[in-house]
Amino acid sequence: MSHTTGATDAAEATIEVRDLRKRFGRTLAVDGLSFTVEPGTVTGFVGPNGAGKSTTMRTVLGLDAPDSGQALIGGRPYHALRTPLLEVGALLDAAALHPSRRGRDHLRWLAHSHGLPMRRVDEVLEQVGMEQASRRRAGGYSLGMRQRLGIAAALLGDPPVLLLDEPVNGLDPEGIQWIRTLLRHLASEGRAILVSSHLMSELEDTADHLVVIGRGRLIADTAVADLLTAASGDRVRLRTSSRTEAMELLAREGGTVAVIDRDTLTVTGLPAERIVELLGASRVPFAEVGAHRATLEEAYMELTRDAVEFTSTPASDADEVTR
Amino acid sequence: MTTPTKTVQPYRSALHPTRAGFGRLLRAEWTKFWTVRAWLLVLAVAAVVTVVISQMGASGSTTGGGPPVVVGPGGEVVNDSFRFTHRTLTGDGTITARVTGLKDASGKGLGPWTKAGIIVKSSLKQGSPYVAVMATPAHGVRMQWNFTHDTAGPSSDLAKAPQWLRLKRLGGKLTGYASVDGEKWTQLGEVGVGGMRGTVQVGLFLAAPVHEIVHRSFGGTSEVAGSGQATGTFDRLTFQGKSTAGGWTDTDIGAPTADGPNSQPGTTTVSPTGTYTLTGQGDIAPDENSPDTVQMSFQGVFMGLLFMVALGTLFVTTEYKRGLIRTTFTATPSRLKVLAAKTTVIAAITFTTGLLATAIGFTLAQKTLRSNGFKSPEFPDLSLLENPALRAVVGSAVLLSLVAVLALSLGVVLRNSAGTIATVVVLVILPQILSFALPLPVAQWLLRVTPAAAFAVQQGVTYYPQVQHNCLPESGCYPLSPYNGLAVLVAYAAAALLLAAWTVRRRDA
Repeated sequence: MSHTTGATDAAEATIEVRDLRKRFGRTLAVDGLSFTVEPGTVTGFVGPNGAGKSTTMRTVLGLDAPDSGQALIGGRPYHALRTPLLEVGALLDAAALHPSRRGRDHLRWLAHSHGLPMRRVDEVLEQVGMEQASRRRAGGYSLGMRQRLGIAAALLGDPPVLLLDEPVNGLDPEGIQWIRTLLRHLASEGRAILVSSHLMSELEDTADHLVVIGRGRLIADTAVADLLTAASGDRVRLRTSSRTEAMELLAREGGTVAVIDRDTLTVTGLPAERIVELLGASRVPFAEVGAHRATLEEAYMELTRDAVEFTSTPASDADEVTR
Repeated sequence: MTTPTKTVQPYRSALHPTRAGFGRLLRAEWTKFWTVRAWLLVLAVAAVVTVVISQMGASGSTTGGGPPVVVGPGGEVVNDSFRFTHRTLTGDGTITARVTGLKDASGKGLGPWTKAGIIVKSSLKQGSPYVAVMATPAHGVRMQWNFTHDTAGPSSDLAKAPQWLRLKRLGGKLTGYASVDGEKWTQLGEVGVGGMRGTVQVGLFLAAPVHEIVHRSFGGTSEVAGSGQATGTFDRLTFQGKSTAGGWTDTDIGAPTADGPNSQPGTTTVSPTGTYTLTGQGDIAPDENSPDTVQMSFQGVFMGLLFMVALGTLFVTTEYKRGLIRTTFTATPSRLKVLAAKTTVIAAITFTTGLLATAIGFTLAQKTLRSNGFKSPEFPDLSLLENPALRAVVGSAVLLSLVAVLALSLGVVLRNSAGTIATVVVLVILPQILSFALPLPVAQWLLRVTPAAAFAVQQGVTYYPQVQHNCLPESGCYPLSPYNGLAVLVAYAAAALLLAAWTVRRRDA
């Protein structure tokens, strides 16, 4: 049948959220949210705590029933998946372990539920560097170890779709680097990856695409490259030990100058070549001139500054979504 | 907004998609169970506690052996003492009589199972086979034989009309009849009873069992002993058949030891008009007053049960507490299947462990009880593989298993360990404790309608309906029969499971 072959093959590695709405009592946790996670990309799912990220993920996984709208994996609702672990890997809460069960045994029961060979347990444990620790009881694990075990569980079925809720939380710098590399690698294999975070900086150098939400609503759905380009604008970054002279000179020549720190300025309205020429002619010392590249954090701030409703309410846990 | 065009080949799992069958789910849940060492420990403790406390209970029970007991043809302990006005019968024959009255002779009230009637008994020896038809004050006309068998005849009221009774011996068969006028006869039953060949004793009998009326309110129990002595009047006595020795003789069967110090000799008087007046005591019925040595062998189940409740609860509530239930439902989106697998695993584990514990506990306790004086024939030699022992051993294991399932189901509904354990304890154990103190009708009602009714499955004594019995919870009596009692718990577990199925599907995980 064309529906089961062609359609699902093409849409195998996607997460589609369509006009999703979910209310908890008087709180509207997710309010008409729509986005798609494409294969081969790491999509960052960003918003402050309480923005509705976890609710959206739970709904995608069939744990919470939406009040309206749909959440689909490869075009199908989660409960229609016959072997879900082979289609979606999820890490919702790294602490969701029985403290007296060994890490390895946690993966074992999961593997048994799908008839997966025990070899697979060893493979994913190796992949996350938990071969030794998995022989100990989970109650003694650090948050970082729990995260690694959670990722191992998500990878157990070798799924084309991954949903990771705050996986960077609690990892040390080495761990953060490790997970970035891992996620890039997994995406390069053609998997669709949704990674949530409440800190944009955690997704720096990891995400290709961003879905930004606040109060359960979509604020932005954009490629990271586009966002950074927009945020960087045509600004030129300049380092100089003679900040005052440089500012006067460039302002006189028509540039708009902003101070970044003691010896760094950004200039808008003048191309870099012209700035070099002007400073050289006036013998103002400078060390470095180049196109300014915004950080993801800056881009995020700029983005959310535009979302008036969002920024007018300080981002703080649950009451932030209360109406 | 632009997205860079990609030429990405969507990834597909390199693992072979194996359909997640129920067997795999069972294996997953079983793995969850045995990989938590604390749960294995609780299971072991449940078994050990069951055995040890059963053994302690048995050690604490001794009997010095009372008066010699009478054993009926079926091997059961019986009461067999009554006033008998009799003659011999060889071969076929018929005895007919009319019961005209039955009244109390002690001044303390007439017991509902006071019996006046005619009887064919193989000999004058206590416990010997017999067939009898009789009138009773509260239970109409009955045909009874060999102590444990009872057939109801027409209802009758001796105060309003006399009651005709007839027993016919023909070949090996005995047939009982009743009539209101001595002309139209209703057959009550026809039985062939072993050990009734050749010459037998036939005649009129009167038996008046002691009956106690128990009143209990908070703080105290008062017992009012009823009569135990009654007078029955008969007339129109006819006898057809061959009698070897003379006419009617009077005997107090079971005298003088029958009722201890209170026992008084019976009397028989015959008026010139042929009215026979018999005064007597005693009863012809199974003896239900001896301790239940089956039940006495399971005193540890009560404690073992607490651990099974904890296991059933924790097996599910820890998943809710840690958020692990989400991992479970992510791996298996069909929540009903998860519930079924969890229930199956916990039921199998608790049943197997429970069976091991009750079988060992029973065997050890029986040995101890026997060495403490509970010997045959007063107390039956019980084989583990025969009822009532088998029923009690397996039934106790089923009880432990059902209680764990009840706990698991309520755990799904309440999602909280302390609340679940408290609820199950209130349902199963509190009624037992209350039943020792509450007024008797309330106590018996509690033991009928709460899961505590299931403890009836541990009863070894058969409570016959034809014996007046005050079912006292403190004596270990449960108002329901063993299987009906267990069925009450089955109903509770099934209802809880349905409730769990309903909530687990309906609520967000």
